[in-house]
Formats: sequence, C-alpha cells, structure tokens
Amino acid sequence: MDEEDIEKAVMTYLKKKGFKQTELAFQEEQQRQHPKTALNSTNSHVDPEIACQILSFSSELENNPAQYHEGYGKLRSWAYSSLDLYKHELLRVLYPVFVHCFMDLIAKGHIQEARTLFNSFREDHEMMHARDLQKLEGVLSPSHLEEMEFAHSLRQSKFNIKICQYSYDLLLQYLHKTQSVVMLGLINEHINFQVSPGQPTSISDDAEVVTFMGSGQDATNLINQKEIHWGLLEDSLEERLEKAGALVPDSAKVDGEAREGEVEENKKRPYEGGKQGASLKKSKKDKVATATGKASRVETSTVSVAPRVKPELTLPSIPAEVEHSILEDLRNRVQLSSAALPSISFYTFINTHNGLNCASISQDGSLVAGGFSDSSLKVWDMAKLGQQTGYATSQIVEDSYPSDSLLGANSGRKSYTLFQGHSGPVYSATFSPFGDYILSSSSDSTIRLWSTNLNTNLVCYKGHNYPVWDVQFSPVGHYFASSSHDRTARIWSMDRMQPLRIMAGHLSDVDCLQWHVNCNYIATGSSDKTVRLWDVQSGECVRIFIGHRSMILSLAMSPDGRYMASGDEDGTVMMWELASGRCISPLVGHTSCVWTLAFSCEGSLLASGSADCTVKLWDVTASTKLLKTEDNKTGSINRLRSLKTLPTKSTPVYSLQFSRRNLLFAAGVLSKNT
Amino acid sequence: MSIVPKETIEVTAQSIGINNLSPDAALALAPDVEYRLREIMQEAIKCMRHSKRNLLTTEDVDSALRLRNVEPIYGFASGSGDPLRFRRALGHRDLFYVDDKDVDFKDVIEAPLPKAPLDCSVVCHWLAIEGVQPAIPENAPVEVIRAPSETKLPEQKEDGLPVDIRLPVKHVLSRELQLYFDKITELVVSRSDSVLFKEALASLATDSGLHPLVPYFTCFIADEVSHGLSNFPLLFALMRLVWSLLQNPHIHIEPYLHQLMPSVVTCLVAKRLGNRLADNHWELRDFTATVVASICKRFSHVYNNLQTRLTKTLLHAFLDPKRAITQHYGAIQGLAALGPNVVRLLVVPNLETYLRLLEPEMLLEKQKNEMKRHEAWRVYGALLSAAGQSIYDRLKMFPSMPSPPASTVWKTNFRIIHSCSANLLEEQPPAEKIGNDGALVPLSNNSSDMETDKDPAALGDSSAGRSSPKDIRESHSERRQKRDQLEKRILRTPALLNQAWKDDLDSGRLLLLLFELFGESIFPFIPSPEMAFFL
Repeated sequence: MDEEDIEKAVMTYLKKKGFKQTELAFQEEQQRQHPKTALNSTNSHVDPEIACQILSFSSELENNPAQYHEGYGKLRSWAYSSLDLYKHELLRVLYPVFVHCFMDLIAKGHIQEARTLFNSFREDHEMMHARDLQKLEGVLSPSHLEEMEFAHSLRQSKFNIKICQYSYDLLLQYLHKTQSVVMLGLINEHINFQVSPGQPTSISDDAEVVTFMGSGQDATNLINQKEIHWGLLEDSLEERLEKAGALVPDSAKVDGEAREGEVEENKKRPYEGGKQGASLKKSKKDKVATATGKASRVETSTVSVAPRVKPELTLPSIPAEVEHSILEDLRNRVQLSSAALPSISFYTFINTHNGLNCASISQDGSLVAGGFSDSSLKVWDMAKLGQQTGYATSQIVEDSYPSDSLLGANSGRKSYTLFQGHSGPVYSATFSPFGDYILSSSSDSTIRLWSTNLNTNLVCYKGHNYPVWDVQFSPVGHYFASSSHDRTARIWSMDRMQPLRIMAGHLSDVDCLQWHVNCNYIATGSSDKTVRLWDVQSGECVRIFIGHRSMILSLAMSPDGRYMASGDEDGTVMMWELASGRCISPLVGHTSCVWTLAFSCEGSLLASGSADCTVKLWDVTASTKLLKTEDNKTGSINRLRSLKTLPTKSTPVYSLQFSRRNLLFAAGVLSKNT
Repeated sequence: MSIVPKETIEVTAQSIGINNLSPDAALALAPDVEYRLREIMQEAIKCMRHSKRNLLTTEDVDSALRLRNVEPIYGFASGSGDPLRFRRALGHRDLFYVDDKDVDFKDVIEAPLPKAPLDCSVVCHWLAIEGVQPAIPENAPVEVIRAPSETKLPEQKEDGLPVDIRLPVKHVLSRELQLYFDKITELVVSRSDSVLFKEALASLATDSGLHPLVPYFTCFIADEVSHGLSNFPLLFALMRLVWSLLQNPHIHIEPYLHQLMPSVVTCLVAKRLGNRLADNHWELRDFTATVVASICKRFSHVYNNLQTRLTKTLLHAFLDPKRAITQHYGAIQGLAALGPNVVRLLVVPNLETYLRLLEPEMLLEKQKNEMKRHEAWRVYGALLSAAGQSIYDRLKMFPSMPSPPASTVWKTNFRIIHSCSANLLEEQPPAEKIGNDGALVPLSNNSSDMETDKDPAALGDSSAGRSSPKDIRESHSERRQKRDQLEKRILRTPALLNQAWKDDLDSGRLLLLLFELFGESIFPFIPSPEMAFFL
C-alpha cells in the first residue's frame, strides 16, 4: 500500500470539498513529517485496512455515478425482501432516497445516469407520488434544481419518517454492513427518523407517516404550537338570538337541563311554528327529524359550547332591517343532521361554450354570478328568472333592466346583468354577505368591486402582480381576501386601494382561500399541497396543514370555528382540527377535483361538489365524535361517514352555498362532452 | 434520453436561419428546452384547473405563456369547435404537420352567416328534496338496479365504524311509486272504462319518473294476458297500457321488450279473445296491430331480428290453413301494419291460394254458419285493405305522368284517395257493426230470426254502400263480366299500358293480379291517373 497514494487521495478530497484550512494544515503537517519519515520510514505504520477504506472512500467521492444506481437498487431489493411486518416501514425510506439520489446525480452533472436511475425505478413511486415525479422528470440540469421551487424545497428540508425501533435498527445494520456509504449519507442528510418503540405502525395510515416539511419539521411544529382563538365572535347575531330565546320563559321545560339545551328547544319552537304556516306537508316529517335531532344534540351540547373571542378587526355595523331579516332566517332555520338531509336547489348554466370559470351564489340564493373566460361577469337574478319560467324567450324581450348603460343596445333581451371591466378571464367571484356587492378577481391581476344595486363597477383594486385566483368576502363583509399566482394572499378593505396585509410563505400559487368564522384568521390552500392558516391582525402564519397529495382547490370552515375542510385535485377531502393542526379524517369518495365545499349552518353536515358530477353529503358530527372516542386508538383511520351521493346530469358542480335557512344551493355547468 | 433530442434543436435552428449551430450548444439547449416546456405545461395545467376544466386547451397554454412573460402563440385558437389536428407526414414515422386547410376567400364571403350561438343562461331545478332526488328529467336517471355492495363491507368493518349494512335489495321502489303501480293495476283490472283510466294512460305516457316501474308493468301485463284471454275489456286495457308505456319518452322499454312481445302478439293472433259475442275482438286486433307496428318501427334498429321474427310468426299464422279464421285476420292486420312492402312481399304472393281457400267460406251456399261467413268476409276485407294499401304505395312511387298538370292533379288525387281509403276503412266497421247487430239482435230476441236475417230483404236497407254477403256475391259475378270487358279494353290499348308499365312492370303486374283477385273493390286504392291508364 503506497503511502503516497493515500496522501494524494486525501489531498484531492480536501481540495474538492474546499476545506482550505484543513488542506493547509495537512500540507504543513506533511512537510513536518516528511523529514521524519525519510529518517525512519519503518516508523510510520499504516494500517492497510484504513488505507483501503480511505482509498475506496475517495474513489467513491470521485463521483462514481454508478454508485447511486447500484446502491439504490440494492437498498430497494433489500427492503422488498425484508420481513413482512417491517416491510412497509422500510419501503417508506425508498422514496426520499430515490428522489435525492436523482437530484444528487443531476447536481453533479450526471444527467444521463440520473435519467436511467429515474426511469428504472419510477414505477415504484408512481402510485403515491405521480405528480412530484412528473415535476422532477423535467429537471435536466443543475441550474434547474436551483430554479425549481419544488426541487429547491426538497433539497432544503428533510423528510419525516415514523419508524419503529426494530425497523430502524435493521436499516442501520444493513447500511453499515454493506458499506453503502452513499446511501447512508443520503439518509443521514435528508431523512429525519422519528423512532418509536414497540410495534410497527399499520400500513394504512402512511399518509401521515411520510411527511415532507416545507420549511423543516421544527419550524412547522413551532408554528403549529402557536395559540389559536378559534372561538366564535362575541355578541354575534346567533348569540343574540340564543339569549333572546333563553329569556322566553319556558315552564314546561325541565330546568335541570343545560342552558344550551333550552336554547335549542326555543330555537326549534318558532321554527316549527313558522313551518306550519309555510307548509303543512312537511311538518310531520320535520317533527320526526327534530325528535331524532334532539337526541343527538343533547349529547353534543357539551361539545358545542364554543368559546367567544373578541374581534381583532373593527367590524362594520349591520343595518337594522338587514339584521332583522337575518334573525328571521335564523329562527326559520331547518335543523340538519344525518337523519334530516337538506334540500338542494341546483342552478345549471347552459350554453356556456366552455367559457365559465367560476360560479358564485349569494347567501340567500337569489343571485347567481358567473365569471367567464371572455373577461365578463354575468349575474342572474333567480327571483326574476323564476317568474319567467315557461315562456322565457318571449318574456326576456319584454322586460328591461335598469342597467342599460352597461348592457349596451341589446340589453333588454338578456336575462342577466353583464358586468364588463376585466381584461382577462375571471377566475373568482364572491357576493358580500348581504348580496349588495360582488367582488371578482381576474387573470389581469386586478380585483373589481361591483354594486348589484347600481349595476356598475365601483373600485378596481390593484396590488397583485399575477393572476388572482380567488377572492372571498369576510363573513361580516367590508373586508376581503385574495390569493394569487404570485404566491401571496392579501387582505383588503373595501375603502382602501392598497392591501392591508400581505401573507407570504406559500411555496407555490395560492389557489383558494377561506375566512374563519370569527374573521380573525384566513386559511389558504396552495399548489404546494399545504393549507396554511394566517392571523389577519399580525399577518403571521399560525398553522400549516400537511397531508394533501395534490393541489388544493377548495376550503370550508365549520360554523363553530373548530374545523376546516379542504378538497384537492385528486378528489380527497380532509377535515382538520384547527386547534391541533391535525387531520381528523380523510374523506375518500370523489374521483375527480373537488371544486367546492360547504358546511351547513349548524355545522352538522359537509357538502362537497366535484368534477365527477356529484354532490356528496358527509356527516360531520359522527366523525368528530368518533375522534373523541377513538382518540387513544392509534392507527385507525377515521373516515367521515358519507351520507349521500347525489349525481347530477353530467354537470360538474362548481359552487355550493348553504343559505341561512339551511337550504343548499349548488351551481354547475352542463357539459355534454365530458 | 429525454423528450427533446438535440436533433430537434438543430432542426429548429435551421428553420430560423442558424446554420452553424455547434453540436455542444444544441446538446446544452435540449434539456433546457424540455425543462421550459414542462414549466409551461405546469402553468397551463394550473390555468386549466382554475377554469374548472379537465381538458387542456390552447387558451390555457397561452395564458401560461403570458404568466411567464412570453408572447403567446397565435393561430392555434381552439374556440371554433374544430380543433387543429396534427397529421403525420406521408412516408415519415415521426414527422407531423398542422393540418391547415386552404380556404377560398370567395367561399368564406359567400357562405351564409353561421348561426348565432345560443346565449348562456341559468336554469334551476331541485337536485334533492330533503335528501331525496326527485325523478325529474333534469336529474340523472336513478340507477334502476343497484348491485349489492359486497366490496365495501369488509373495508368498513376494518375501520370499526358503525356500519350501516344495506340489505341486498336489488330494486328499491318509493312508496309513491308503489301506490301508483297499485292504483294503475287496479284500474286496468276493474275499471278500464272509467275516465280515470284515460287519465292514468295519459300519465303513463308522459310522466318521467316511472322508469323503475317498467319491469313490474311488463310482468303484470304478461301475467294478465296469459290468465285473462277470455276477459276482453282487460285485454284491451292492457294493450292500451302497453301503448301508453311505448309513448312515454322517459322510459327505456327496450330491455323489457322480450317479455312484452309475446303478450302483445298473443293479443293479435290468439284464437279467441274474449268469450262473449259482444266482444269486439276485431277492434282489439286492429289496435294491437298498430302497437306491434310502432314497436317494430322504434326498436328494429336496436333488435335487428325483431321484425323478421315477428313477420315469421305472423306469416306462419297466416299460411296455416288449420288456424282459425280469426287468427288469420290478426296475422293479416299485423302484417299490414308493418307496412305496404311487407304486404307486397309476403302477403300478395300468397293471395291467390288463400283467396281460393277463403272463397267457399264466404259463399252462402257453402258456409251455412252466419258467424263463420261473417268472419270470412272480415278477413276478405282485411286482405283487400292490406293489398290496396300496398298497391297504392307502389303506385305513389310512380312519378312520371305524361301530362304536365299531373302534379297538381296528383295532389288533389292524393287527398281523394286518402278520403277514399278512409271511407273504405270506415265502411268496414259499420258493415261489421251491422253484421254484429245482425248477430246480436237475433240472439237477444230469438234465435230463429237468424234464418230470416239471411234474407236479402232484411239486409236490403243496409245494402246502400255496404257489403252484405249477398250483395257482394252478386256484384262479384257482375264484376267478372266487367273484368272481361276491361280485359278486352286492355288488350285494345296495349301500347298505352306498355308505356306505363315500362317504368314499373312489377307494379303493373301487381295491379293486374290484385284486380283479378279483388275486382273493382281495389279501385279506390288506385290514384285516378293510373286508373285512367288502367281503364
């Protein structure tokens, strides 16, 4: 074993790694030693084994690209042939290793080898990570790695893998025994093992087990530890109604019951009274429904006491007559539960020629807005449309809308009000809570405020630099939030041209957003597959929800402020608990994009509308209760019970909206060719 | 290695005038081009998702390019409904070009304006009422037969969730539908003459939510027909029920046709329908014939062998001399309803032999039984009508009339013929009625009157325009003489007829044959111009 060789190897290694100081020190030492070695060469006894290792190590660091392929292939076959009990845990390690092998090879310029590695093993991960692979497939040079946000974040952060003690030992043993230094290095660098004693986890819940931390595990944990005041607003109308209800003397009731029970009883009575006047037909059925509903509610009443929080924003005042009508609605609300499903009124857009990008329904369902790819926003007044049914064509010619200035010459012929002003496809529209304003966001990076009373454009908000994907009015009106391709979400108030807050942090487009019921938070869903919750007052990110496997398309907040639902491109809907930041249950059922989600007004049902032409109703109370009872049982998936699937006639569902009286409105486009 | 090879870069470089691109540059550019392409596609997919579509369009790519501050590619708009297509160049495996047609300016300018696209609008309906989907045309059709969900059960058990086990009920009927079914069947069985039944039939023919009931109705019909062959009102009600179901545009009756057809055909060619003399089974057969014809018309493209099987059955009944004369009648009516072509091809060739068999039945001397004779005349009438329809249809196709005003005459003639044939058809039932009355009256009074009824005097008042057996017999002999005369005339004008027949010898022959068989009674079916020729 030639000593010279070793020294050379060490030198080149140090040079390569840029350890200049060490190199110098090494050289100095070498020179000091050389005379000595010349004197008594027998003195320096080099252990041949060490030399061999050093040499082999250096040769590896000569970036032999075959090492990666070979190493990964061996690791893979080892993992596949391991014991069944631990197999699934060990298999989880493969994906991060694979991805990083690929990126390492790219980074070192071995494009060809990276390709072969990628193509020979991609089938293994196709099922779970198809989209990521598609993205990575395009990476063909080191510079792309730097540029691409996904690759960048992969390199920056670590994978988090839950693994049991024994599997971990097995893995380490294997890596040491086979001296696969490259693999060991990769695993050390990019994977963060959370070793748990005892039995391996079950196969089923790997969704949570392999998680990829956008900003590092610790940061997320830190963020998710922040306090959230998810309670409802103090002095909200609902509360006022409850108080009013509680004041009504109710001698028949047993006073031992909790306050909530009483309140609900009282809430129910006027509802029944009103119902009898409205439709005698239904009353019998309703009684049955309320009877069953009551039983379940007594159980949940202890849960449903939501804490009250103070608003952080100055809230706009509500006009007295509007308040009155809302109170009236709340009194007449139909109680929904798994036994009492809602009625759904469906608005179908026809003859849109593939041009409709979004649909929005006002709180009371009387107005429907559609945003089109030809930059127009059209608003239908369903109340008027209802009168016209039957002889629509002749009727439309007769009635004239006051909005002639906007509509131009042939205004009288149209059944809708046309709002023109945007210069790019309109991607989102939202009604203010009382239906007097509409906001629309467009590809031209602006947001426009329209008045439905005056039928005119009021303000054009400029601030985003790229298309604005989504805009949402806050539950109290006045404030609104927008999300954009520029990876930010912004908070605005109607009276200011500039945004009040800018929420930055997502790694990719912010595709959808939703206000929390108490207006203190907004949730945003992004193409980086995470949902974030932001504090409106401070503009800070307070929660990161990780678990989706593809782009997030829709969000909904439960009316008690406790839960959030998110729907993604694959058709998965996830329920999150805001306080803990944990996923309660993935709702599997849809086969295509979930465009829209809506909670019923008392929060017992979740409705989801999808591109697979169905509306699904899910039982929220059952699942959350289940969570409580089975909390200690780890490893069991809690699935929300799907109550009902309502297929439409080849009409993808774009929008869902529960009215204050719990009537569900849905909108979609009739598309014959899909 | 990658999607974009370096040759592509070289070709592209050449196409924009760079001839001396170094191979290294091409090699370096290729992966970058691929990366950029993928980047654009990623953005385009985002745009597609935000337009809530599952189909990537050129507009999405354009907006993705705009997002990246690249000028969009013009000329690839897909909005016109006819998307651009790439075509493979002949002789090359992997060379494609855009199929861009040359358009003549003149054509574009002279072409009529395209139809204005319909304006977009919103329609409203109930997707669900308290969680239940109403069966209205706006909603997706409810799955009639739901397969029991075997696969789901073990999965749910694993979760330890409260499993709601669905019983393997194959077919769920709502209470309303059950009530509806009960009501309809009750009406059919007991009160088929009420006004309510008529309304029920109208509802069956129009209501959209009845599809789940169709299997029950077919079973009901099959059962009742097989058990109630002697109950005439029931049979008629059943056939009207079938007719209404066929009329309903929201019902897919095809899968149940095989169950339905036997009962319907039974009502057409059964030996006895009803057990009382008053039962007008002729009318039932006529009605059933129209039902059969409409089924054939509607579903012959779905079931290719439907019509052939049906005609085979009917022809069999028609040609079997052992069958009852009523069966023959049904078969003839059924064949006639299937259209003149069927008659021409299947009935007419057998006419002569059949009439030879029928003739003795019709003659007073040979057939003493009034009923039988009457039936035979009935069949004769049906045959005449069927043959007449077919010859009329045949002649209608005869376009070439030598005289110029023929076309105008034609139209009026057409109407006349129609009314003629209508008259004739109308004439039949009264004759029938008389016959029936004749049969009835004696029955109710005393049976000995039957004999007197046979007197021509007794029927003399009805002979005006009607065909009492005797009258016809007399006229028959007269006709024979006339025909002889006519034939002489025909012989005298062979040239004229030859000219007419040159166009269609067959129809001429057919005409002659029919004339030979039926005599003058075929004339009302023949348009007068032809008649003129003929005479």
